[in-house]
Amino acid sequence: MGVCPYARAFVAGILSPSGLAPQGNPRGGSSGLPREAVVPDAAVMTSTCDQMRRAAEWLAMAGGPPVFLMNVPATWQTAASVRMYRDELERLGRFLVRLGGSPPSPNRLIEVMEDYDARRAALRGLVGTLSAWQASEAVARFDLDPYEESMDPVQAGATGGLPASAERYERTSRPWHPDSAAPAIPLALIGGPLMLGDGRLFEAIERAGGQVVLDGTEGGVRTMPAPLNRRRLRDDPLMELVDAYFGSIPDVFRRPDSALTQWLGREVPASGARGIIVWRYVWCDLWAAAVGRLRESTGLPVLDMDISGDDAGFDRTAHRLAAFLEVLR
Amino acid sequence: MTGPARRLTMEELDRLCGKRLAAAAGAAPGQGDTPAYIGPLERHVRDGDRRLLRLWYDDSEAAVRLWSFLLTEEERLHAARAAGLRIVGAMKDLGTVPVMAYALPNLVAFYPDGAWWTPCVMELSEGLFGVAQSLGLGEAFCPVRAMAGAFVTRAHFPIPDLLTCSVGATCDDFSAVAQRVESLGHPILWWEIPSRRRPESGEPAVTLPGGLVAPTSQVAMVRSELDRVRVALAELAGLPLGDAELAAAIREANRIRGLLGELRRLAYTAEPCPMPALEMLIAEMLAIHFCSDRAESAAVLTELLGEVRRRIHEGRGVMEAGAARLFWVNPVADLRVMNLLEECGARLCGTDYMFCHALDRIPEDLPPLEALARTALADPMVGPSADRAARIIRDARALGAEGIVVSRIPGASHCALEGAVLRRIIEADGGLPVVELEVPPVADPLWPTLTTRLDALVETVLASRRKQVIV
Repeated sequence: MGVCPYARAFVAGILSPSGLAPQGNPRGGSSGLPREAVVPDAAVMTSTCDQMRRAAEWLAMAGGPPVFLMNVPATWQTAASVRMYRDELERLGRFLVRLGGSPPSPNRLIEVMEDYDARRAALRGLVGTLSAWQASEAVARFDLDPYEESMDPVQAGATGGLPASAERYERTSRPWHPDSAAPAIPLALIGGPLMLGDGRLFEAIERAGGQVVLDGTEGGVRTMPAPLNRRRLRDDPLMELVDAYFGSIPDVFRRPDSALTQWLGREVPASGARGIIVWRYVWCDLWAAAVGRLRESTGLPVLDMDISGDDAGFDRTAHRLAAFLEVLR
Repeated sequence: MTGPARRLTMEELDRLCGKRLAAAAGAAPGQGDTPAYIGPLERHVRDGDRRLLRLWYDDSEAAVRLWSFLLTEEERLHAARAAGLRIVGAMKDLGTVPVMAYALPNLVAFYPDGAWWTPCVMELSEGLFGVAQSLGLGEAFCPVRAMAGAFVTRAHFPIPDLLTCSVGATCDDFSAVAQRVESLGHPILWWEIPSRRRPESGEPAVTLPGGLVAPTSQVAMVRSELDRVRVALAELAGLPLGDAELAAAIREANRIRGLLGELRRLAYTAEPCPMPALEMLIAEMLAIHFCSDRAESAAVLTELLGEVRRRIHEGRGVMEAGAARLFWVNPVADLRVMNLLEECGARLCGTDYMFCHALDRIPEDLPPLEALARTALADPMVGPSADRAARIIRDARALGAEGIVVSRIPGASHCALEGAVLRRIIEADGGLPVVELEVPPVADPLWPTLTTRLDALVETVLASRRKQVIV
């Protein structure tokens, strides 16, 4: 009662990793990507929402592994909030060292950051050629294992970075139904994180005649850190890390949330979306409050999808999607 | 010794008010202490405050003053604006920014958050929830969404000249509602309050008011944030706001906290209970923002304290001795539920209305911003629930509580998880029975359920007493 399905699933997934089910576990993959049952040595959570902040305590009380609750400031326009984020990165480093890690030398840190940056660049190039569903999978796969072969920038250059079985995405004039000549209705998907198995959302959208042309969920491209500045990286790698993450990712918890507003104001029109689906979990106040403003600021129809996280709830979701697209059609 | 003081209906309280006003009218100039705001509550009912008709009140002139003071805050704010004072709307921090604002003579501070009680007091007739709904803030949000409606209707408080809001480790409900307010064209000075954590081994740390310990780095962060608030207040006032002004304001705030501290100590420990739960709830709220008049807040609390001391001296309370002694966690959205506590045979014996940090004395032996930062970081809502639970247990034991009521706020995103954590810790470590309730702004439809749950807790407490006697 009163608990966000994502937070609940996160805690359950940590406490019972072997019980991972297609539904009810936070994303490591958005479409049921295989995930091995690994008992984590620690959990890293952030203070960006009430539910996860409290869930960190819940996890600790339930006898879970060591928990690191990272303070991510809601404010972002002051030197103090930047300093706090940097301090938290250093504290996270100490936590990882206590778990058995070894502190990296500055050069080693730069090397790792450059490698990640290159792989992210490859990923960015990749997602532009994929359907939203495939892109979501690719980002999820990157989050799980950025060293997966298909994420290798060299491989990406040779093969386009696509998994062998992936279907090339045709951005235009894709029929929404095999028997229909009508184009699919372009939609923006905005909101919180998807969970393992939520790839069926994309499937349901396509089945209903829609097509996601902008994935603004928490696991999508919206929350990818900015490309690194190589010169600044050499001067102060940790500060560059702060800039790439804290300084660039627009999200709903920020105060003021103008960066998110600007991102939406830029990306939604550019995507050509004719409607917006807001994916939010019940008890997520931050995204719930964004729905009304999205309607006002974009002038587009908005479907407010309050997700309960259970299968019965998804059936309802599919029906609502179908109705929404019927109206848009 | 006489029987318990009667509880009054509003009509009876207004008769008592009439007597006080008549006595004041007949008194010689300079005699007595009956400020101009004192008047019958019936005038507020005419303005729509219908819940007042359903409440039971304490039978004292001190209560007359308390209620009149509370219900005339909007008039005071409008009068302040008319007099050329600048108005600060402090949001969410519950007890820090007003202390700073009242350091300047031409500023008045209040909490727009207080509008969360308007739907209760007006029994939903004011339409604030409907306006909030139209802004996309529906029932999934805590009743503080009424605040957004009040900014739209402008019918409840004057629009502040400066709005501040603490964010970070605060309720998402509040953060989301405040962001919606800003989107309506009301700029907000957001200041960060980080999630309080325990210091790591060897990390420099300081003790906060209330006994908690926090890393020095977190205190420094809050101090720098409050310095931004200080600059904004000084600019608004057009006056300097330095350490001397802040130190004086802290002393004044501590004077009020001292009065309230003594009132709480007596009201929550004396047997029989000398002051009802509802009036104590209102009194505690004065410590946060002084109800827009710091000096008068002190006078109101002084009169209440005098009444409590008189009753204790006379061995007289508001109910028979021996009532179940309950500690209350979180404020109720429906004020009437505090009456219910006593109707169920219990008495209030300690509280955590989410602002314990506003009850503790602000250190006077530190630089003022450092002292305020430490106080702000002691907010029970910005730290681990385990810290909050530990203080509840400590206070409950000190005050002799026998049971604990965790009152949830409907829609509040932190309440369900936090309530469960609090309950688990309190039951395990405190050894006290706990009952959780959810109280909506008008709780009448839930009255039988709430009564049953409180009855059950009271019965558990009384049964435990009998068991101890037998053993």
